[in-house]
Amino acid sequence: MSTIRVRSAASYWLAVPAAVWMLGVVVVPIALLAWVSLWGGRTFSPASPLTVDNYTKFFANKTYLQLALSTVGHTALLMVITGVLGYCIAYFLTMKVKSPAWRLILFLAFIVPFWTSTLIRGIAWVPFLGVNGVLNQALMFTGATRTPIEAFLYSVFGISMAQVSLYTMMAAGPVIYMLNAVAPQLREAAMTLKAPPLVVFWRIVFPLTLPGVVIGQVLVFLNVMADFATVATVGGNKHAMLSNLVLLFYEGSQHRAASVVAVLLMICMLIGVVAAMKVVDIRRLGADR
Amino acid sequence: MDALAPRTAGVAPSLPVAKPQLDLELRDIRKKYGDFTAVDGVSLKVPKGQFVCLLGPSGCGKTTTLRCIAGLEDPDDGGVLIGGKEVTRDPPWQRDIAMMFQDFALFPHMTVAKNVAFGLEMLKQPKARIAERVAQVLASFEISALADRKPGSLSGGQRQRVALARAMITEPRLLLLDEPIGALDYSLRETVMLELKLLQQRTGISFIWVTHDQNEAFSLGDLVVVMNHARIEQQGTPEDILQRPATAFVASFIQGNNVFRGTVLERAGGNVRIETAAGVFIVPCLGASPEIGATATFSVRAENISDTVSERHPNRLTAHCTAVEYFGAVRRHIFERADGEVLKVDHFGAQAARIAPGQSVLLGWQVEDTVLHQGIPG
Amino acid sequence: MKFALLGDWKFRSALTGWGLGTLTVVFLVYQWMPILTLGLLSFAGPTGGTTFPMNGVSLHWYEELWKATVMNDFKPPLVRSSLLAAACAITTVVLSVMSAQAMRGKFRGNDWFFYLMLLGIMAPGILVGFGFAILMRLLDVELAWNTTTFLVQVSWTLPFGFLTMLAVFNRFDSRVEEAALTLGASRLTTFRRITLPLIMPGVIGAGLFGFSLSYDEYPRSMFTTGPDQTLPLAVMAQLDRQLTPEIYAIGTTTTVFSLIAVLLCTSALWAMRRSTAPRKA
Repeated sequence: MSTIRVRSAASYWLAVPAAVWMLGVVVVPIALLAWVSLWGGRTFSPASPLTVDNYTKFFANKTYLQLALSTVGHTALLMVITGVLGYCIAYFLTMKVKSPAWRLILFLAFIVPFWTSTLIRGIAWVPFLGVNGVLNQALMFTGATRTPIEAFLYSVFGISMAQVSLYTMMAAGPVIYMLNAVAPQLREAAMTLKAPPLVVFWRIVFPLTLPGVVIGQVLVFLNVMADFATVATVGGNKHAMLSNLVLLFYEGSQHRAASVVAVLLMICMLIGVVAAMKVVDIRRLGADR
Repeated sequence: MDALAPRTAGVAPSLPVAKPQLDLELRDIRKKYGDFTAVDGVSLKVPKGQFVCLLGPSGCGKTTTLRCIAGLEDPDDGGVLIGGKEVTRDPPWQRDIAMMFQDFALFPHMTVAKNVAFGLEMLKQPKARIAERVAQVLASFEISALADRKPGSLSGGQRQRVALARAMITEPRLLLLDEPIGALDYSLRETVMLELKLLQQRTGISFIWVTHDQNEAFSLGDLVVVMNHARIEQQGTPEDILQRPATAFVASFIQGNNVFRGTVLERAGGNVRIETAAGVFIVPCLGASPEIGATATFSVRAENISDTVSERHPNRLTAHCTAVEYFGAVRRHIFERADGEVLKVDHFGAQAARIAPGQSVLLGWQVEDTVLHQGIPG
Repeated sequence: MKFALLGDWKFRSALTGWGLGTLTVVFLVYQWMPILTLGLLSFAGPTGGTTFPMNGVSLHWYEELWKATVMNDFKPPLVRSSLLAAACAITTVVLSVMSAQAMRGKFRGNDWFFYLMLLGIMAPGILVGFGFAILMRLLDVELAWNTTTFLVQVSWTLPFGFLTMLAVFNRFDSRVEEAALTLGASRLTTFRRITLPLIMPGVIGAGLFGFSLSYDEYPRSMFTTGPDQTLPLAVMAQLDRQLTPEIYAIGTTTTVFSLIAVLLCTSALWAMRRSTAPRKA
C-alpha cells in the first residue's frame, strides 16, 4: 500500500498531462517530419502527393552519403575515446580516491561544467584552437612547431577535441553510478577465491558495470550525432555532420530535404538505442540491486 | 557431501617437527582506524581441524580479526600464520583460505555453476576437470538442480549452500565464515548448523566462525573465543566458558549467569568473603589472590541456584519472584534481589512449578558453583 | 622501506591509482582550460583581441555589454531566458512528480508511457525543434519565446525530472506511507505531509534539471523562437556577426550564473539529505 493505489484511475489521470505534452511536442512533430519527407509536388502543403523522390534525390548525391558515413564514423570514434577515458576517470573517482573530501572535490570539478551551457563551452574552444590560439602559442613556445598549425580550428580534429571535453562526463556518469552499486564484498569474495586484482576487475567489476557503460555510450552517441552547434562554432562553415545538413536545408527553405535528413537521423538513433536496450534494463536504474 | 574428502595431512612426508603444526596462529594482531581501535593485541592458536567460534557483541573486533586472517585488512602490527607459514603481508589471493560472507556475496551476473567454478578457474585447472568437480560438489550440496540459475532467483537457504559450495570447492586449509547463517530464517538455522558441523568434522578443514549468537558458538565450537572492546576476554571450550567465565563481561554476556559485584572482606582458606549489596558470599579463589578491600565480581549460573536450601548452600539470599518463563526443557524464574537487581533461577522442566510470581523465597547455592572473575571490573 | 614491506602487488595497485589519477587530473585541466581561458580573455583591454596576448586588463567588455546598443543588447534575452527557465523548472517539477507517482500506480500502459518520456531525451533537439516549427507553421501559430519555445523546452526538461523522480521512488520506502495511512491519514494528506518532504531532495534535483537545461538550450529554441531571442540564440547570432571579447564576457557571465545556481541547489540538497538520512549506528 502507498499513497497511490495500483491500477487506480488516479494513477492514470496523473500521467495524462505529461503524456499529452510529450505526444504533442515530440511524437506528432517527428511523425509530421516523416510525412513531410514524403511530400511531392511544388507547393509545401498537406495536399501534396506522396512520393519517395526526396529520398532518392538524397541517396543519389554521393556527397551526402559520404557525409552520413563520416558522421557515423566520427561518432564511433568519439564513443571509443569518451568511453575509455570516462571509465578510467569513473574508476579512479569511485575506487581509488580514499578521502571523501578529495573525492567530492574531484567529482564536482568533473561534473560542474555539465551544468553550464554546452554552447558557451563549445565557443570557449575557439580562442584555444585558432591560428593565434593558446594551443598554437604553447606549441610554438616549446618549439614543437615553428609556424602555427591551422588545422586545429575549423577542423574535425578541433571538433573532436571540443566534443571529448563536452561528452566524457556523459560516458562516465552512469559508470560512476554503477561502480558505486558494486558491493565491496563481491570483490572481496573474488579475492578470497584466489583472483588477483586484474581478474577481479575483468570477471566481476566490469561485467557488473557494463549497463553503465552501455547507457553512457548511448548518451554520447545521441549527443554527438545531434551536435550541430559545436560543429558549427568550432568547425566553422567548413565542416558539417548529418545534423548540420538539417539546418542547412532548413535555412535554404528546403523543408522536404531537411525532413529526409531528420528521418534518417532519427532512424540511426532508434537503431542505436534499441540495440542498447537489448543489453540493459534502464528502468531498474536507481533500484537497490 | 562425499566429494569433499578429508584433507590429507601434508603433501610429502615432512621432517619431524617438534610441535604439532597449527592451522592458524595470530600473534598480537593490532588494527586501528584513525582513533578507533578495532583489534588490540589478539593472539590465537588453532590446531589442525578445529572449529573455532569468535563470539562477541557487534563492534567487538571479531569481524576485523577475521578480515585480517583473510588478508582483506592489513594489521598495523602483529603476525598471521596459516599452516605455519607467515602470510601477514600476503594478499588474500595468495592465502590458503576461503571465506563465506554474511550476505553470501554470490556474483549476481554468474550462474550457480559459474559461481562454484570460479575458485577452480582461478587455480587454472583444466576445463574438463573443473566441470567434473563442479558437478560433484553441486551434487554433494544437493544443488545440482540450480546449476543454471542466477543467484537473484534463489532462496536464502539455497544461496547459503551455493556460497558454501563455492568456498569449499578449492579445499582450503581454513574456511572463514562471517555470520554465515545470520541471513537465514530461524527455522533453517539448526539444520544448517548441524550440516556445517558434520562437514567440518568430515573434511578436517579448520572453520573460523564469527558470530554474535552464543547458541551457535556453544553448539558448534571446539574452541570458543569471546571478544569485547577489540580484545579477547576468554578462550576455551564451551564448557570452560559456560561454567567458568573468566571476566565479568563474559559472565554477563553469556546467558544464564547472575553477576554480583562487591568488596573483598577477608580470606578464609582457599576462599574469600565478598560483601555485595545483596549480602555477603563465599567465593573460591582458585589461584587468584584478590586483595582485601578490592572491588571484585563473581557469578553463579541460574541452574545452580536452589530453592530448597540446606547446609550445603552457605551462600544464601531471599528474593521476590516477579515472573516465570517456560522454555520447555527449562523453567526460568526471574527474581528481584534486595538491591533491586535481577536474579535468574532455572529449574529443569521435568520438575513441576514450585514457585509462583509474587512469592518471596529463600535461595541458596554452593561455594564451588561460585566463580570469581579476573581483573578489576570497570 | 615501507614499499618493500608492502610487497609488490600493493605497489602495482598504487601505481594504477597514480596512473588513473594523472589521467583524471589531466582531463580536468583539459576540460576547464577553455572555460578559464574564456573567463580570462573577457577581461582583456579595449584593444584586446579574441586570443592572447590580452593587451591590458579591464572591464571594458563588460561595460560594452552593459551599455550595449539595440543590436547586441544581451539584457532582454537574459531576462527572457531566466523567466523561461524558471517556468520550465516549475512545470518540470509538477509534471515529473505527478508522472512518477503515476508510475508507482502501475497503470495500464505504463511501459509505453515510460518509453514516451525516454523519447523526449533520445530525440535530438534539432529534430524536435524543426518538426514542431513545421507543425506550428501548418497550424498557423505565431512562434514566440514564451509560448512555443516553452512548450518545446518542457518536452526536453520533463523527462530528466521524471527519471530523477523515478530513481527517487525506486529507493523510497513506502512503509512510511503505510504507517501514516494506518494512523488514519488520507492518501492526499499522507502525500503532502510524509511523501513530499521525503522526496524533496529529488524534487529540487528535478527543478535544477528543469532550470539549467532550459536556460542553456539552443537547438530546440533555434526553430521555435520568434523575433525575441533567448540568450543562447543571441550569443550565437553575435558569434555569426563578429567574434569579440564581448562574447567571452557574456559567456563568462552566464557560466558564473549557472555555477551559482548549481552551488545553491547542491548545498540545499546536501543539507536536506543530512536532515533526512538515517543516522549510522
